[in-house]
Amino acid sequence: MADKTTDEIKYRILRYLDITGFTVFDPIVRLCFGEEPKKQVESIAKFLIVPIIFVAICVGVWWKVAPEHKTKSGEVPTPDVVFESAVINDTFSKREKMKESDFLLVGSEREETLAEVEKAIVENDVLVVEYKAKLAKHEADYEAKLEEQLSPLQANLAKLKAKNKELAAELKAASAVEAEKFENGNGSKEGLLAALRAETEFKDASRIDEGIIKDKIDAIRSEKYKPMEEARLDLSAANNEAQFLSKRVDFLTRANRSMKVEVAKEKLEASLAKLDDATTAKAALSESKKVIRQEDSITRLEEQKYASAMTVYMQIKRSLFTVFIGFLVAAAIAIPVGVLCGLSKIAMACLTPIISIFKPVSPVVWLLIFQIVVGAFFPDPESHPFFLLMNKLPFIGSLGVNPALIFSACTVAMCAVWPALVNTALGVSSIDQDHINVARVLRLGFWDRLTKIIIPSALPLVFAGLRISLGVGWMVLIAAEALSSSDGLGKFVWDEYQNGSSFSFANILYACFVVGIIGFLLDRMMIILQRFVSFDGGETSL
Amino acid sequence: MNKDKHLVISQLVKAYPNPFGPDVRVVDGFDMTIKQGEVIAVIGHSGCGKSTVLTMVAGLNPISEGGIFLGGKEIEGPGPDRAVVFQAPCLLPWQTSYQNVYMGVNQTYAHVSKKERKQITEYALSSVGLADSMHKYPREMSGGMQQRVGIARAIALKPKVLLLDEPFGRLDSLTRMELQDVILDILDKQKITTMIITHDPDEAIFMSDRICMMTNGPGAKVGEIMEIDFERPRSREEILETDQFYEYRRRLLQFLDDCEHEKEERKKSKIV
Repeated sequence: MADKTTDEIKYRILRYLDITGFTVFDPIVRLCFGEEPKKQVESIAKFLIVPIIFVAICVGVWWKVAPEHKTKSGEVPTPDVVFESAVINDTFSKREKMKESDFLLVGSEREETLAEVEKAIVENDVLVVEYKAKLAKHEADYEAKLEEQLSPLQANLAKLKAKNKELAAELKAASAVEAEKFENGNGSKEGLLAALRAETEFKDASRIDEGIIKDKIDAIRSEKYKPMEEARLDLSAANNEAQFLSKRVDFLTRANRSMKVEVAKEKLEASLAKLDDATTAKAALSESKKVIRQEDSITRLEEQKYASAMTVYMQIKRSLFTVFIGFLVAAAIAIPVGVLCGLSKIAMACLTPIISIFKPVSPVVWLLIFQIVVGAFFPDPESHPFFLLMNKLPFIGSLGVNPALIFSACTVAMCAVWPALVNTALGVSSIDQDHINVARVLRLGFWDRLTKIIIPSALPLVFAGLRISLGVGWMVLIAAEALSSSDGLGKFVWDEYQNGSSFSFANILYACFVVGIIGFLLDRMMIILQRFVSFDGGETSL
Repeated sequence: MNKDKHLVISQLVKAYPNPFGPDVRVVDGFDMTIKQGEVIAVIGHSGCGKSTVLTMVAGLNPISEGGIFLGGKEIEGPGPDRAVVFQAPCLLPWQTSYQNVYMGVNQTYAHVSKKERKQITEYALSSVGLADSMHKYPREMSGGMQQRVGIARAIALKPKVLLLDEPFGRLDSLTRMELQDVILDILDKQKITTMIITHDPDEAIFMSDRICMMTNGPGAKVGEIMEIDFERPRSREEILETDQFYEYRRRLLQFLDDCEHEKEERKKSKIV
């Protein structure tokens, strides 16, 4: 019996792998269950180990080649730097989350957290001092080492320079002698020219000689001293931490929401007391105006949200939302129109010129067109009812729907509509004649024909089209966001490119991987969906 | 209504336009009258136009000249009164066998209750021996089982004529025999007028009351009609033991042979 259940588990796992398209891991599962170990090991070696080695080689080449290429934004970052940028982005987002929770904390919890943070500050200060000392020591070491390496070279250089100067003076004197000969009337052209040539030749040669030594000195100076670099990084991390902690203290005290409300309430009470004491009509009026204003500000404060800086995760969320909106719009247009084109040759003939002309148009052009055309619908987006409504919705509101998002989504939809449309039309028009005959014999009505025969038979191709559409949409979105400054991964890349800090290049590469991985996951999702809905996908039920 | 003239095929012609000459008349003057409840086999060499005749009767293929009358009325387009079993099972792969049959039942029995429609569907499936596989998808069934579903779908419609277009052409001989028995059994019980296209002489003799032998195309027509005088219900073993069977078979093969000769003669004369 036990065998039977383990078999069941095995086949269930295998089926999950099949459905998600990760059949590469098949042999590992089989090996774990002890099925033909030799064969499994062989196929793991062939299809898992070899590819992993290949990828490792690629990463290795990257690691080796990247530092060789100097750009205006510094060296091309190596994999570890890119990984570090991922970590930094992650830390940043965690800190934002923490600040937000600090901002919202109330009562005793706030006080406890404040105590913790203050303790952490003390600890961190100790670290800062320690790192500073370490850095100072390493700097001194470095200076000493530099001095040790440089002093002989510099001495050599000075010697060489002195010697060259001497010789140059001698040659100059020789030239002068040749020139004076003209005054005496016995000058020779050849003699003077030769002397002058010798002088300049010597000058060039001595410059080169000096240059060699200078280059050596420069190379030594630019050599990085690892311990010092590390100490510097440590110190800057600790400094960052200190800054963050002081910000937290801020959010736990002065900038904390409940504290702000309290302060406002105190003010309100004072005003109320003043109102009680008021004796003149004018004073009463002005005080009660103040009271009303303060009451308003209290309600506003109570609902205030933490204004978080854009973290990369928020950008991802917004990008995904935008791409899905665009994709859904594209599907909603492409499927009905595609079915129509597949059914009617006339419709196909009408749409063919439109499809052929607009399909190759660049997303950038679409974005600009949409900015003008769609932008005309909301000249004043701040107060437009659509955006007001959108930003009140629970999840969508937090993403900050704005015109830029709409333009990006429209661009995605415009570019993603074509593959789905063409594939749907193809799927519908290439339906099996036998199935049509069945429908004819049964005299099925148009609706039954559509829902029972045409659409199910076209579904695999429809989904193949949708899959391509989503891929195209995701690709287009990044460009559209970069260009329209709609918050998202595209803008993240663009901002990094514009801002040019020491980490931006690494951040761009990090974003490149994030975009790639998300695109891959979206594609996988579509494959799974396709397998669930289409009849030819074999076993579809889990 | 005349029971002897249940299905009348009169001077049927199928012509395809030929851009470089006169129209190609694939079938030219096919004449046949079928009694109610009769089983007719149409036999001939492949490409002679047997299937063309059947698809015209089914209404899937437009008629060039002549007419087809079912129960005294000229047919017009395809319809469920002329159910077809195609050579390929033609099941909808996204539906179970039950759903495949139910779709037709649902369409033709619009006036009866849902429960009755369900019963009709289940009865049709069990009469072809698929009571246990009602909720399987086509891909989970063998070719023979799929063809059984196709048969169930056709007979569930209670058609006036059942049209079988080489229904066993793609099956192995064992399955073929099984299915022949299944169909004979149903025909004996339900007395459905049937037209079966085949190129297998044994099958034609075993299943039909009359065999219509078609001449070779183009210009194919009825060459000879042979009555088969076996009692129904028939049993394969008994029939195979009679001398009569072999006589029928000899005549059939002789006819087919002659047709082939004639074709070769024609070819030769053309070359000369």
